[in-house]
Amino acid sequence: MQVFDLGSTGTTAGLITARNAGLVACQRCGQVHAIGTAYCKRCEGRLQSRDTQSLQKVWAWLIAGIIAYFPANIYPMLLTNTLVEHSESTIIGGAVDLMHHGAIGIALIVLFASVVIPIGKFGAIIYLALSVQSKSARNPHERHKAYELVEFIGRWSMIDVFVVAILSAMVQLNTVATINPGIAALSFALSVIFTMLSAQSFDSRLIWDADKP
Amino acid sequence: MTDTNPPRPARLDVRPVKRPIWQRFSLVWLAPVLALAVSLGAAWKNYADRGTLIVISFENAAGVAAGETLIKYRDVTVGKVETVEFAPGLGDVLVHARIDKDVAPYLDDDAEFWVVRPDVSVRGITGLDTVLSGVYIQGNWDTEADVAQFEFTGLERPTLTLAGQDGTRIILRATDGSTVSAGAPVLHKGIEVGYLETPELNFDGSEVIVAAFIESPYDRRITTSTRFWDTSGFSVSFGAGGVSLNVNSLASLIEGGVAFDTVVSGGATIDDGHLFSIFNNEQSARESLFTDPDAELLHVAVLFEESVSGLTVGSEVRFQGIRVGEVSEISAIVVGEGDTAQVRLQTVLAIEPARLGMPAGSTNDDAIALLSDFVSRGLRARMVTGNILSGSLMIQLAEIEDALPAIMTRAVGPYPVIPTTDSQISDVAATAEGVLARINALPVEELMDGAIDLMDSLERLANDDSTRQAPQSLVALLDESRALIANDDLQNVPADLRAVIAELDSIVARANELDIVGDIDGVVASAAQTVASIQTATQNLPQITANIEALTAKANALELEALVASAGSTLDSIDALIASDDTMDLPGTVNGALDEMRVFLAEVREGGAIENVNAVLASANEAAQAVEEAVAGLPELSARANSLVAQTQAVIESYGERSRFNAETMATLRDIQSAADALTALARTIQRNPSSLLTGR
Repeated sequence: MQVFDLGSTGTTAGLITARNAGLVACQRCGQVHAIGTAYCKRCEGRLQSRDTQSLQKVWAWLIAGIIAYFPANIYPMLLTNTLVEHSESTIIGGAVDLMHHGAIGIALIVLFASVVIPIGKFGAIIYLALSVQSKSARNPHERHKAYELVEFIGRWSMIDVFVVAILSAMVQLNTVATINPGIAALSFALSVIFTMLSAQSFDSRLIWDADKP
Repeated sequence: MTDTNPPRPARLDVRPVKRPIWQRFSLVWLAPVLALAVSLGAAWKNYADRGTLIVISFENAAGVAAGETLIKYRDVTVGKVETVEFAPGLGDVLVHARIDKDVAPYLDDDAEFWVVRPDVSVRGITGLDTVLSGVYIQGNWDTEADVAQFEFTGLERPTLTLAGQDGTRIILRATDGSTVSAGAPVLHKGIEVGYLETPELNFDGSEVIVAAFIESPYDRRITTSTRFWDTSGFSVSFGAGGVSLNVNSLASLIEGGVAFDTVVSGGATIDDGHLFSIFNNEQSARESLFTDPDAELLHVAVLFEESVSGLTVGSEVRFQGIRVGEVSEISAIVVGEGDTAQVRLQTVLAIEPARLGMPAGSTNDDAIALLSDFVSRGLRARMVTGNILSGSLMIQLAEIEDALPAIMTRAVGPYPVIPTTDSQISDVAATAEGVLARINALPVEELMDGAIDLMDSLERLANDDSTRQAPQSLVALLDESRALIANDDLQNVPADLRAVIAELDSIVARANELDIVGDIDGVVASAAQTVASIQTATQNLPQITANIEALTAKANALELEALVASAGSTLDSIDALIASDDTMDLPGTVNGALDEMRVFLAEVREGGAIENVNAVLASANEAAQAVEEAVAGLPELSARANSLVAQTQAVIESYGERSRFNAETMATLRDIQSAADALTALARTIQRNPSSLLTGR
C-alpha cells in the first residue's frame, strides 16, 4: 500500500491524484469508484472527475450577477415616504447620507456589506476563474482559501436585502411614514444570488489540476 | 496457473471528443443573457419613456428643489424638476423639468406655470399641503394640442382661471385700484359667480384694468346693458329711516369686490374681453343705465380764484339741476406771465355729452360748440354747497341773468375754460351758529314767567267779584240807557224844536209887519237869557264826550286785567252820566227854554216891538251862532259813540255771542246808535240851515 504524503502540497513529487490513479470520488458521499463510472453505486450520485462546464457556469452566473449589480446601485434601494417628505435613497447615497449625519460606523458597515464585499467577490471569482483557465500553478492554497471565503461570505451579502425587507415590513404607518423596497433591492438580491451560484459552480478541484506532480 | 501476462490490447486512447460548441455550451448562459436583456430592456424603456425636457424661467423659485419638486396638472403629477440653475446674467432661475411624454404635446403657447405655495387669504387657505410636502409647480394649459413649446415663463402668482373652465372673461376698468384685488369675488344678487384677476394699470396710467372671470352659466346674465359696481367696504347712509349700515360680505369688506346686475333687458350678448366700467356704488350704476358709460367724456376746465376746499375728484357737476358729469381733476395752474402771473385752481370737469341732451353720435366738438353757445348766453360755473353737513361742494353750471359777457377760451391748459361766477357756499358752521345764537337769545324764562303771571292774573280776574258782577252792571246800565233813549221827551225834542222854529218863523213874519221896537230891550235880555240856558244845556255834551274819550283811550290800552274793570267803571260812568240830573233834565230844560221862547214870542206878538227888530235879529243871529257851535260837537260825539259801540261790541263778543247779555247789549248799542244817528241828523239839519232856528224855514 502506497502511502501518500497528504501533508505536502504544491509540486510535490510523487503525488498521485485520484484521477491519475483512475479513480473518481463521489462528491455527495465520498465513495470512490473507478473512473468512467457514471453513477455512484452507493448514493446514485452522478460521478464526474472534473466538471467540464464549471468555468462556463462560473462566468455565466458571474456576468449575470455583475449585470444585476448595476441597477442595484443606480436605482433607489429604499423608498421612504413620510408626512414631510418623500425620499429615495440608493445604496451609496444612503451611506453618504449616513456619513453626513455622523454615523460613520454604520455607513462603513453599509459600504462594506453592499459595495466592498460584492465587488470583492466579483474580483475573487474572476481571479479564480482566470487562474484556472490559464492553468496557473501559483498559490493554490491561497486561491482555495479565497474560494472558501467567497462561498462562506456570499450568504451574508444578503444582509442588505434583509434590512430592507424588515424595514419595509415594520414601517407601514400609512401616511405618516412608509418604507418600501426599491428596484435596487431586487437587483441587489439577484446579484447576490447570481454571485453565490457562480461561486458554487466553481469546481475547486480545478485549482489543483495545475499542481503538476 | 502461471502468472503470465496475457496479451492485452494496446492502451486505449481515451480522449474526449471535441463536441461542437453548441453542445459544450451550458444552458447557464441563459441567465446572464436574460439578465442583460432585462437590464437593457429596462434601460431602454426608461430612456424611451423619459419625459420631454422643458425649461421654465422664474424670477423666484423659492422652494423648488431639483429632483424633488413635482409638476402637476390638475393636481396630477405629470413631471418632475430635474435641475435648477440660473439664466445667464442671473436674471432668472431656469427650472429644467421632465414632462410626461403623453402630456408634453399639449404644452403650447398658452401653457402657464406657477409655483404653488401656502397662501392664506380672506377666502381661505390654499396650498396647505405644500407646507409639509414642499412646493410644487402647477401647470395650466388647455386641452388643444397646438405647436408644442419647450420654453416657458413662469407666473409669479397663480392664474385664477384654469384652462378649460367654462365661463366668460371680461375686462373691467376702475378709477381706483384699491377696491379691487386679485381673487376678489364678483357677486350677482349676492351670489359669488366669478372673481377678479390681477389688477393692472392701463397704458397711460389713468385707469386700473382688471380682468374678471364669470363662471358659466352666470355669464349669460351679462349683456351690454349690464352695470358693474364696487361693493368693497361698507356704506353708511343717513336718511329719514335712521342710519343704515350696509356690509356685503366679510371677504368683500377686506378684499373688495364688484357686483353686477342687468336691469334693462335688450342688451346684446357679449364676447370674451368686453370692457365694462366699475361704478362707485349701485345707485350710480343704475343711474347710468340710460347713458353709455363707455362714451367718451368731454373735459372742460374751470378756473377758480377762491379756495376749492370741499371740492373733490368725483364731485358732481350739475347743469340745470341735472347731473351731467363729475370733477375729474383738481390742480393749481399758473395763469399769465411775469408780474401778472397768478395761481388759479384748475378744476377739470368730465362731462358726458349725452347728458347735455346731445344726440347719439355727437362728437366732443359738437358738445364744445353747444357749451360755447351757452356760455355766450350767460352760462357760468360756480361752486355750490352739495352737502351742508359734510361741507362738500359741487359744481353748478348755471345761467346768470346779468352776467358780464364772456366766451369759452382755450387760453390756458389743454381744456376749454368755462368762466366762473360767484360761488354760493353756505357755511354750515356759521349758519348753525346763527340759528343756535337766536335760539339762545330767546327769553324763554321771561316768557314762562310772563305766562305764569298772565295765568295768575286771569285766575284772579276770573275770581274777582267785580268781574262777575260786570255783566249784571252792564245789563242794568243798558236797561237804563234804553229807558232814557226811549223817553218820549227826548224823542219829542226835534218835534218841539221844529214847532218852536215854526213859531219863530211866524213871529218873525209878524214882526216884520208889526212895530216891535218898543219892547226891544226886554226881548233882547230874554233872548240872551234863553241862549245862555241853551248853552248851559249843551255844555253837558262835551263832558260826555270827554268821558267817552277816556273810555276809548282805556279801551285802546286794552290791558286785559284792567279791561273788565275799566269797562265796569266806564259803564258805571255812563250809568252815572245817564242817571245824572243834568242829563235827565236836558229835555225838560230844552222844553222849558222853548216854552219861555214861546212865551216871549207871544209877548212879542202882543207887545208889537217891531221897532227893535234889527237888534233882535242881531242878537238872534248871535244866539244861532252859539247854537251852531254847540251843535258842531255833535258829529264828533256821535262818531266817538260809534267807535265806542264798535269796541264795546268787540269786547262783548268775547263774552259769548248767544248770551242774553250779549243780545241785550247789542240791542242797547243799536238803540244808542240810532239815537246818535238821530242826533247826527238833527245836527246836520241845523248845520245845513242854522238860520231856520230864527227864520222858521
